[in-house]
Parts: sequence; C-alpha cells; structure tokens
Amino acid sequence: MKPIVNNKIISSLIINGILIATVIVMIIPMIIMLAYSLFQYPESFTAPLQFFQETPSFQNYADIFITDTFGRYFVNSLMIAIIVTIGNVFFASLCGYAFARYDFPWKHILFASVMGLMMVPQQVIMIPLYRMMVAFNWIDTFWALIVPGILAPFAVFLMRQFIQSLPSDIEDAARIDGAGELYIFFRIVLPLCKPVITVLAIYTFLGSWNSFLYPFLFTNSPEMRTLPVGLAYYIGRQSIDWGHLMAGASISAIPVLLLFILFSKKIIEGLTAGALKE
Amino acid sequence: MGNLKKIQTRYAFTFLSPWIVKLLIFWMYPLLYALYLSFTKYKSLGNTTEFIGLHNYQSIMVDPLFWKALYNTILYTLGSVPIATFFALLLAVLLNSKLSKFPSFYRAGLFLPSVTSIIVITLIFTNLYAKDGYINSLLQMIGLPHSEKGFLLETSTALMSVMAMDIWLSTGYYMMLFLAGLQSIPIDIYESAELQGANAFQKLIKITLPLLKPTLVFVLVIATIKSLQIFVEVYTMTKGGPLNSTLTVVYLIFTNAFEKTDAMGYGAALAYVLFIVIALFSYAQSKLVKNNG
Repeated sequence: MKPIVNNKIISSLIINGILIATVIVMIIPMIIMLAYSLFQYPESFTAPLQFFQETPSFQNYADIFITDTFGRYFVNSLMIAIIVTIGNVFFASLCGYAFARYDFPWKHILFASVMGLMMVPQQVIMIPLYRMMVAFNWIDTFWALIVPGILAPFAVFLMRQFIQSLPSDIEDAARIDGAGELYIFFRIVLPLCKPVITVLAIYTFLGSWNSFLYPFLFTNSPEMRTLPVGLAYYIGRQSIDWGHLMAGASISAIPVLLLFILFSKKIIEGLTAGALKE
Repeated sequence: MGNLKKIQTRYAFTFLSPWIVKLLIFWMYPLLYALYLSFTKYKSLGNTTEFIGLHNYQSIMVDPLFWKALYNTILYTLGSVPIATFFALLLAVLLNSKLSKFPSFYRAGLFLPSVTSIIVITLIFTNLYAKDGYINSLLQMIGLPHSEKGFLLETSTALMSVMAMDIWLSTGYYMMLFLAGLQSIPIDIYESAELQGANAFQKLIKITLPLLKPTLVFVLVIATIKSLQIFVEVYTMTKGGPLNSTLTVVYLIFTNAFEKTDAMGYGAALAYVLFIVIALFSYAQSKLVKNNG
C-alpha cells in the first residue's frame, strides 16, 4: 500500500506545522516587547512599522535605571525572591519531613490543613491580611513582602510527597548508630532531597519574582515596590511611553527567560510532580 | 515504644512549629477575621467597626454591580476555560505523537508565557490591542473588520480581548498537564490496539481520551478556579471598564476594600460569596465529569 507513506509525510507536515505556528504565536509578543525596548519612538506611537530603520540601543534601559527607580525595583524583587526561596525551601523541608516520617497526635488534622489551604484563593484573605499588615506596622517593610510568601501549603505538600517516597533504611540505620534527629534531617534527608529542592526553589523564585497582588497591596512608597508593582504604576501614568515601559518589562522578563532556558527540564518536571500525585 | 512515640511527637511539633504558626496567624485568623469583617461596617476614617449582621450579604443580593461582575466573571470562565482546555488537549496529543519532530522545543515555546510575569504580559497585550497596535493595524491592512477606539476601549470587545489573552497565556500550562497525563498511559495498550488494526483516530477516542479523564478533571477545576479569580488582568488593562464591561468579582472586591473608605466589610462579604461560588463550581465540575462515563 503506497498511500501510507504519503499519508505519514502529510500528517507529519500538518502536526509539525500546527505546533510551529503555535510556538510562533507564543513567542511573537515577547519579541515585540524586546524590539520596543531597543528602539526609541515618538510618544504614543504604538505600532511602529519602521523597526529596522533605526539602530538598536540600550538607551531606554539606561534611562529607566538612571532617571527612574527601576534599579531599586530590581534589587527589591531580587532580594525578596532570594529570601522567600531560601525560607520556603527550608521550612517546607522541615515540615514535609515531619509529616512524612513521624507519627504524632493530630497528624491527620494538620496534614488536612495543608491540603485544604491549597484550595483557598488568595483573594479571600487579602482584606484581613492587609488589615493585619497595618496592625503589625508591616506596610512598606520587607516583612510584609517576605513572610506571607514563606511556607506555601503546596511546598509542604511537595516535600512531604517526595520524602515519603524515599526509603527510610538509611535514617533507621543512622538512628541505631545513635545519630540525633537534627543530624539525620540535615545530613541524610536534605541531601537526598536535592532534586525536589531544585524544583521547589525554581518555582518559588519564579512565583515570588512575578508576584503582584501582595506586594501591590502591602506597599505605598516607591522605594519598596517590586518590579511588577513598579510596572503597574508605570502603566497608570497619563501618556504611556512604550519604549521605556517595554524596557522595564524586559528587565522583569529576561531573568525569567534565562532561568527558563537553563532549567526548562526541571521546571516541567516540577509541574508534573505537583500535578500527578493525585 | 511509648518512649519512641514521645520523642517523635516532640520532634514533629518542633519541626512543624513554623507551619502551625503560619496556619494559625496567616490562615485561620485571616479566614475568621474576614468572616467577622463581613458582618460589620468598617470605616477607615476614624477606624470604627460597627456590627451589622447579615446586612452586607443582603446588600450584595440587590447590588446590580455584583450581578454584573458575577455575570462577567462567569461569562469569562465559560468562554476561556473550554477553549483553552481544548487547545491544550489538541496540542498535547499532537506533541505526544510519534510524528512531532522537536518535542522539547515545542514544549519550551508553548510553556514560555506561563513563566512570564502577568504584568509583563498584560503590558504587551495592552500595546497589541491599542487602536494603532499591531493587531488592529493588521486587520485594517487586510481589510477585515477592526476596532475604532482600540479593543480594550469598546464595550463589545474588551472582555473578549482579555479572554483571548488569557487563552494564549494558559494553554501551554494546561498542555503540559495533559502531556504528563498522556505519558502515564502505558504504551502496550496502544500496541495491542494496533495489532487489532485500530487507526490513529480510533486509538485517540477509545484509549487516550478515556484514560486522560482524571487529568481533564484536574485541568478543568484549576482553570475554572483561576478564571473565577481574575483580577490583575482587569486591573492593569481596563480597570473594569468601559462601562463595567470587564468588571469582575475580584475587581469589585478590590475597589470596595481598598479604594473606598467605608466598604471593607462589604468587600469581605463579597470575598466569601466568591469563595462559595468557587467551591460550588469545582464541586459541580468534578461531579459532572465523573458521571459522564
């Protein structure tokens, strides 16, 4: 039967054609963003058709770093993301280990709280949380931007699932040899958790770097804004200056793109690890 | 044995103390406090709280803005969730087929929008949707119907434009979930079907789709929850306008709680109503999909 070969080629062309077209649709907006950031245009000119008549420059980037406060936003975002990542990974590992390995009263209720809170939308508690931040005097401080991000229910769940899937023989042997619980946790369990910690760290970093709602609600002064919040205020201005705005957007997007290119395998792995454990 | 259990309990509670603190202070207390606030009228001027019972909830039921916001939110959900899910499933099946040539390139390309900040994305699309933005210019150039004021500034297109962006944004993420589901289907099922002469379409209908049902339920539930909570897109792109055509429930909660001085209690009540709507939707969805086969 000859047609089968032809059919295969045609199917392959259709399948790959659709996929390539979709990937292009996904990437084009990012390219437009970068193009804007590298050229200078008259104000309120949204669709320049003469992209390649000018030479690209980093003038827009220089401008927003020097005359605007994007440098500060960048440092804030980076610092918060790093601290939240370290805190989240560390505390979630501790809690995940306790849930996975110890037997204690109220274990089921406590673990049910982890599962249940994964379902509660942020928006339900945003008002009381804001009131609490006001009461704590945490508005416009790093506390408000860091503490709510640490120990996300999903992180505890992920660590618990992973640690539970590890064999416990080594821990038991160490216990018989007289090793203390802290030694076992730090020297035996944590090193074995490296794969899941990498995934969780990347996810937490991305989540914190991109997070908008809480940093937006919990800051007033420009010095405390993160990149997404700074950008959101930039859009709110009277006339939008797209060149500079897109340079700001690129500064927010480029670290993520780099991280994604470097770790895309890990990122995808983490997604399925979270999704498929029932 | 009893001693071991005691030691375990002591360590467990030491290790879990951060979670217990977080649970009590940053989850239970806010949830209860929100419930309490929803029964009060709180005025930020003078910092007064007045207990008014169910009054906020009664006001919600007769508030035309709430019904408009709920209508928009549900319309948004019913529009974007099925389309994004369909595209995601289609792309996952195509990507997973033996004929796809560069699977890791496709995966990375399609997933890219999901790791990008929502603010960055709304910014780019605000530009694309503008009157003289690329989309409108292109439509004009090839002579198709186009927007007079810009897609986000007309009541007939604003909500749809935000929806289209959301479909663009979330398809890759759901596709990734479907891919994981597809890859968990054992290959020998397909092989034995091939031996019995099944073609690609039959394999898809008889094997792939039924076995993918748990993933489908999962995707539908998280997509719905996400859509019902839409806020940032509306805040940065349209501020609920024009003429409330993109007003969503969370945007209404936000304006009441943070832009008015006397409606924080009302906002808290709205948040609880939304919480109930979300719970009902997720419950109904998982039931519905379970019963259909």
